Amino acid sequence: MYLKTLHLQQFRNYRDQQVKFSAPKTILVGDNAQGKSNLLEAVELLATLRSHRALRDRELVLEGEQIGQISATLERHATPVDLSLIVRSSGRRTVSQNGETLRRQLDFLGVMNAVQFSSLDLELVRGSPSERRNWLDTLLTQLEPVYAYILQQYHTVLRQRNAFLKQQSGELSTPMDLAAESDLTQLAIWDAQLAAIGSRVIRRRARVLERLAPLAQTWHQAISNSTEKLEIHYAPNVAAESDDPSAIQQAFLDKLKLRAVAEQHQGTTLVGPHRDEVEFIINHTPARQYGSQGQQRTLVLALKLAELKLIEAVIGEPPLLLLDDVLAELDLNRQNKLLETIQDHFQTLITTTHLGSFDAQWLKSSQIFTIHAGRVLESG
Amino acid sequence: MNFGGTPTVYTRPLARLIEQLQRLPGVGPKTAQRLALHILKQPETEVHALAQALVEAKHQVGLCSVCFHLSAEPVCEICRDANRDPYTICVVSDSRDVIALERTREYRGKYHVLGGLISPMDGIGPDQLHIAQLVRRVSKQDIKEVILAISPSVEGETTTLYVGQLLKPFTRVTRIAFGLPMGGDLEYADEVTLARALEGRRDLD
Repeated sequence: MYLKTLHLQQFRNYRDQQVKFSAPKTILVGDNAQGKSNLLEAVELLATLRSHRALRDRELVLEGEQIGQISATLERHATPVDLSLIVRSSGRRTVSQNGETLRRQLDFLGVMNAVQFSSLDLELVRGSPSERRNWLDTLLTQLEPVYAYILQQYHTVLRQRNAFLKQQSGELSTPMDLAAESDLTQLAIWDAQLAAIGSRVIRRRARVLERLAPLAQTWHQAISNSTEKLEIHYAPNVAAESDDPSAIQQAFLDKLKLRAVAEQHQGTTLVGPHRDEVEFIINHTPARQYGSQGQQRTLVLALKLAELKLIEAVIGEPPLLLLDDVLAELDLNRQNKLLETIQDHFQTLITTTHLGSFDAQWLKSSQIFTIHAGRVLESG
Repeated sequence: MNFGGTPTVYTRPLARLIEQLQRLPGVGPKTAQRLALHILKQPETEVHALAQALVEAKHQVGLCSVCFHLSAEPVCEICRDANRDPYTICVVSDSRDVIALERTREYRGKYHVLGGLISPMDGIGPDQLHIAQLVRRVSKQDIKEVILAISPSVEGETTTLYVGQLLKPFTRVTRIAFGLPMGGDLEYADEVTLARALEGRRDLD
């Protein structure tokens, strides 16, 4: 797919900016805090409706304004598609496709696909498990848009169940066996819902990792010149013997029973995919604790390349690649592996503070924009 | 794209009216202004009628003591209607749902309005809803069927299951089906709806 135009209105530090992409590779050059990453974030939002940088939509709207808009024209399966996302400081969003407002945001997902690779992704290996879950969820959302709905439902059940547990633990700390029967009934229903929706999350996560792992393994081998062997393990909080939905649900309910006292004591849900982990193992050693800086970089790069290939295989079209300030973090060997793979196959937007680190051939074939104080200027 | 607050150009009483109107659901600053200016143009009798209607509705409309639907009488019209099937109760979360179901003219039984959904986050448990009254109604009367017509959201699902469990010892409990809209094309249905429709499949008679 090919992103042809992007129009930012009152988005981050952009007042009103049109951008036309005329080459498969675009380099955005500028000093820090001028708006390079904001532009990439806009593309990320159109692809996933998520931002890895903003916690609230208020941050996305130009200061002093209430409402901002990202619009784009995308060529997908050789057909142009207009996408637009309106963000408000109130948090309400409106999405539309080809000028028509979509009733459900779910229908907006999966139209545009992008893989984001920023220096923050280097935290993927060493950071907390939530970073890995987020990464996995973002990928899944693009491959199976309905997953966004499942995940949102899961979080609703989780928040409701947590609120219920908190109430229970607050209420004169009655032990569960003395609690009113109606409370037990209600808890059993929240348990059943958590297990039913949670097991759908678990199965989809397991499935996507199964497909991603061999791709990442191949890339990892290529980048490390076959000296290292990568394994990716899904470590679900609720582990079941088989992939059967009812088996997972049963394992889920069993574990809830096992942790009931602890949950009641802590007033929060301790069982479920919100506590999942993804383990990366290099040459039989967990990369999180023991991987060197170089190994971790190789690993993240292999994961990102695997994402590109997986999305392409599932969607049938190469996704966009967003490289946010990350080339400088890679040594020449890794840079070359990345650039070799991209070629002109994946449309790529790259941010950088200086052009010095780029290959001359690359600079020649790229469209170069200078970003300064929320303005985009084409520089030859 | 610039929406400011209420400017100070309005004279005080007008500003107050706009502010009040703006508190209504679905009314933004522009609509509030339009409504307020419209009201000012009306003859005074009209405005009085509106104000009186507002106050009287608030005074006179309460909840039916049987089903908790909105009613000006102690017992609502639907509950008093002798032509309706007294052995079937349809349980909904809100009075709006009664109105929607009545429009279908398909349902001839009685109703029970819960007044919300179980939601611990909002501090709403079964005790805050008209669930105990429903159980009393079903256990004391000869009810043949209770139909649960509650939206399939997370909270709606919990409420449906909860009420269902309490009523099952007394009577037959059913829930409405969820699935494809009429005239909908299977090919264009989204995954979520389609999955629900599959779940709720039934034998061909």
